[in-house]
Amino acid sequence: MDITEITKLEPAGKSNIKGLALAGVIFVFFIIPWIVPSFRVMDVMAKIMIFTIVVASFDLLLGYTGILSFAHGMFFGIGAYSIALILYYSKTPAWYHILFAAGASIVISMVISLMISFFSLRVKAIFFAMLTLALAEFAHILGVQWTSLTGGEDGISFTLPGIFNFNQTLGTLFNTQVNGRLMIYYFILIITIFLFAGMLRFIRSPLGRVLKAIRDNEQRTIALGYKTFRYQTCSIVFSACIASLAGILFAMWLCYVNPDSVFHTAVMVNILLMVLIGGMGTLYGSLIGAGFFIVTENWLPGLLKSLAGLSSDSILLANMASRWQLYFGILFVLVVIFFPKGVIGTIRVILDRRQQIHNL
Amino acid sequence: MPDMIETKPLVLGLENVHTHIDQHHILQGVSLDVAAGGATILLGRNGAGKSTTLKSVMGLLPVSQGQIFFNGQSIETSKPYEIARMGMGFVPEDKAVLSTLTVAENFRLSMFRETEKSHEKLEGVLDLFPALKKFWKRQAGLLSGGQKQMLAIARVLVCDHTLLLIDEPSKGLAPIVVDQLAESLIQIKDQTKVILVEQNFRLAQKVGSDCFILDDGRVVFHSSMDELSRDKIMMKKYLGI
Amino acid sequence: MTTEPLNFQTRIYPFRQYTGWMIGIGLFLLPLIPMDLTTYLTLTVAGISLGMLIFLIASGLTLIFGLMDVLNLAHAAFFAFGAYAGFTVLNLLNNAGWIDSANLAQSLFYLALALGAAGLAGGALGMLTEKIVIKRVYGNHLMQLLVTVGVSFVIVEILKIIWGVNDEVVPVPMGFQDAFIIFGVFIEYFRVVAIFLGITIFVILQYILKKTKLGIIVRAGVENQEIVKATGYNISWIFTLVFAAGAALAAIGGTMMAIFNQAVDPGMGDQFLIFALIVVIIGGLGSVTGSFVGAVIVGLSFNYVAFLLPKMALGVNFMIMAVILLIRPKGLFGRD
Repeated sequence: MDITEITKLEPAGKSNIKGLALAGVIFVFFIIPWIVPSFRVMDVMAKIMIFTIVVASFDLLLGYTGILSFAHGMFFGIGAYSIALILYYSKTPAWYHILFAAGASIVISMVISLMISFFSLRVKAIFFAMLTLALAEFAHILGVQWTSLTGGEDGISFTLPGIFNFNQTLGTLFNTQVNGRLMIYYFILIITIFLFAGMLRFIRSPLGRVLKAIRDNEQRTIALGYKTFRYQTCSIVFSACIASLAGILFAMWLCYVNPDSVFHTAVMVNILLMVLIGGMGTLYGSLIGAGFFIVTENWLPGLLKSLAGLSSDSILLANMASRWQLYFGILFVLVVIFFPKGVIGTIRVILDRRQQIHNL
Repeated sequence: MPDMIETKPLVLGLENVHTHIDQHHILQGVSLDVAAGGATILLGRNGAGKSTTLKSVMGLLPVSQGQIFFNGQSIETSKPYEIARMGMGFVPEDKAVLSTLTVAENFRLSMFRETEKSHEKLEGVLDLFPALKKFWKRQAGLLSGGQKQMLAIARVLVCDHTLLLIDEPSKGLAPIVVDQLAESLIQIKDQTKVILVEQNFRLAQKVGSDCFILDDGRVVFHSSMDELSRDKIMMKKYLGI
Repeated sequence: MTTEPLNFQTRIYPFRQYTGWMIGIGLFLLPLIPMDLTTYLTLTVAGISLGMLIFLIASGLTLIFGLMDVLNLAHAAFFAFGAYAGFTVLNLLNNAGWIDSANLAQSLFYLALALGAAGLAGGALGMLTEKIVIKRVYGNHLMQLLVTVGVSFVIVEILKIIWGVNDEVVPVPMGFQDAFIIFGVFIEYFRVVAIFLGITIFVILQYILKKTKLGIIVRAGVENQEIVKATGYNISWIFTLVFAAGAALAAIGGTMMAIFNQAVDPGMGDQFLIFALIVVIIGGLGSVTGSFVGAVIVGLSFNYVAFLLPKMALGVNFMIMAVILLIRPKGLFGRD
């Protein structure tokens, strides 16, 4: 199973349906807080948005450029920690701190991703993956051990400035409280749309097309005269920055960061699972993958607990129920082996086959 | 003249064999029968599918369609190690020796079962290629091109094969070495059936008794070596000679 | 009367490698400057014994990659799994009351039991993993990385289910609690055992690889799978064997680590995986000698730096890896 088999260029005719679907999705995200005024639902939706961006940026790297980097979670964490630290240590948090955090995290991510990119030229793909894995673990250990800065395993709590402050309420509208939470939700929605559009543009641009050519056949692209290294670097840096911006959104939503929530390998594995389910090399797949994952993550533990409650009070069964991550892990392995193309990828293959039969 | 043709037992038979490599349809229906005795040559242009045919027979490439018979047994779905144990030997085109192993280790590896008989065979083989005895403990990667090729062929001789598949052994060798190679192959073919893929027509002529020409993944011509040498048109068309 | 030009390629040890050794040894004598001799020796012993543990997990990794071209990130999980297996044996012995009263000889025996259990358990798990999962993703590096990460995750979750998320204390046989005192240097018995074990396993591995038929087949397979298959060997079985052996080695390493730390926790493999990865990269993919040397380097540097500049300890190893990659991307002993 070769990456070139998994991903293909999208035929132009389908873009109308896609545009419509996308608009529909955005509309749903927009309207949900008013229809279902439940914090839990908003939480799920916000996380779906954030992780869609993370997963999409990762797919940019993996599915479109063909580079597997385990350091993506690290960039996500860098963004989260940069805003957390800035807001935590500043006496009077203000809106420009958010911009400052964005800038800082972009700069840090750029520097680190440039360093990583420099090494990627010297080593084979597997080495590179190993290197990034080691780096990501390193970041986690740093987060845990550098307690003076990061608060160690306990993490950092902080409050958001201005209208985003959760304690502030501006009144009620249509049965829903218009408070800081709601403001942040829409902020996340807007930024998400903006970032996603940015990634779409990136993919469709000449730069993006060269990246796809590199992914399909690096030697040939080099022979054609392209300095592939530069393009790959662009991709690595761009996706890293997007991931860290998503990290900022994540931290803003939770108002809390700790090493395990952002730097742990579990986060990276989750991102991988989401990409795989949605389909590698399909930006829209990231939405499906993130959506599936976050919804299940919220819903599965409850289901398992009620199932466990049905049987006797065996500790083993209780443990089996509480560790829902196990089932995700198994699902991950199964998806990798049996459905490497993911949802969108498989749909594309089916549609392509239909097209071919149609053409005969 | 029918009664002049002796029907010899069939060592290898291919029937309408198709092989794909990724998306490319390399073998598009190869059918050939190889009788016992002597050496059969596979000729053809680059990319005609000669190496692919050998690899498909050896089981190193999966056959998408068709059948392959070896000494009467159907082998198109067999694994390479099973086919090897049935008595087929293979000398690939590239990387035919293990360069990180010594000459001695190369031989030890090919002796699947280390018996007295195989050791006797080893002695015989080393008599055939004395240069290898000299470099016994040397890393195979440090040998010269010709010596490596000698080792590549000598390796497979240590076992009891009924069929040897040899892929372009003369590639990259100096003419004088090619002549030595031809001498060795002539001696070998008397004891074991050899199927040889060759671009070097002189070598093919010296060694081969009959030949098949492949083009575009199919067999386009089959005759004895002598007949082909006389058929200038065929030679020009498919071999560019 | 022409002198033969020196052909560096035909020499077994190119000149450059000697200077490399010289620099390496020089670097390792460097820490003597800021510290006194007894501390240096203590750290050296500790560093080498840590290196041996890392070697155990790295050697399997490098062989699996060298032979099967599979990057097995599930190795961390085999490490942790082995630790728990050994822990279980020691617990059983403890419950029978034998641990507390063990002298050195008995302790060694119990250790052997624990290691044996770990090795068998790890080997079995490795064989299972290879047959069920790895076989399906041969030839595709991307899928291998993904799948082994997933398997690792699953195994660790299973460990958490059976034993819980928290650390468990490992009962250490009494005989190991003592130490030699040589020239005023405190050398714990267990560290010596670890060094001994590491060297023994290295020697055994080298012997198997260089002298036995199996070793020849494995080395041949590392270089050229096609020839090995075409010679009549069922390479699929060899792969399973090597994978299981690698897993068994990692498992043994895990038990040793459990005794070292006197604790086990489900995530203990992750940290070690970084070390192992760094060692494999430094030493060269596919080279057992490389992973041995690399492990010693990593173990020593970690300990020296941990003493001098604690925060930099892990960072130093990253830097070493970076330097090696810059001057010799294939690793110290790597080919490919």
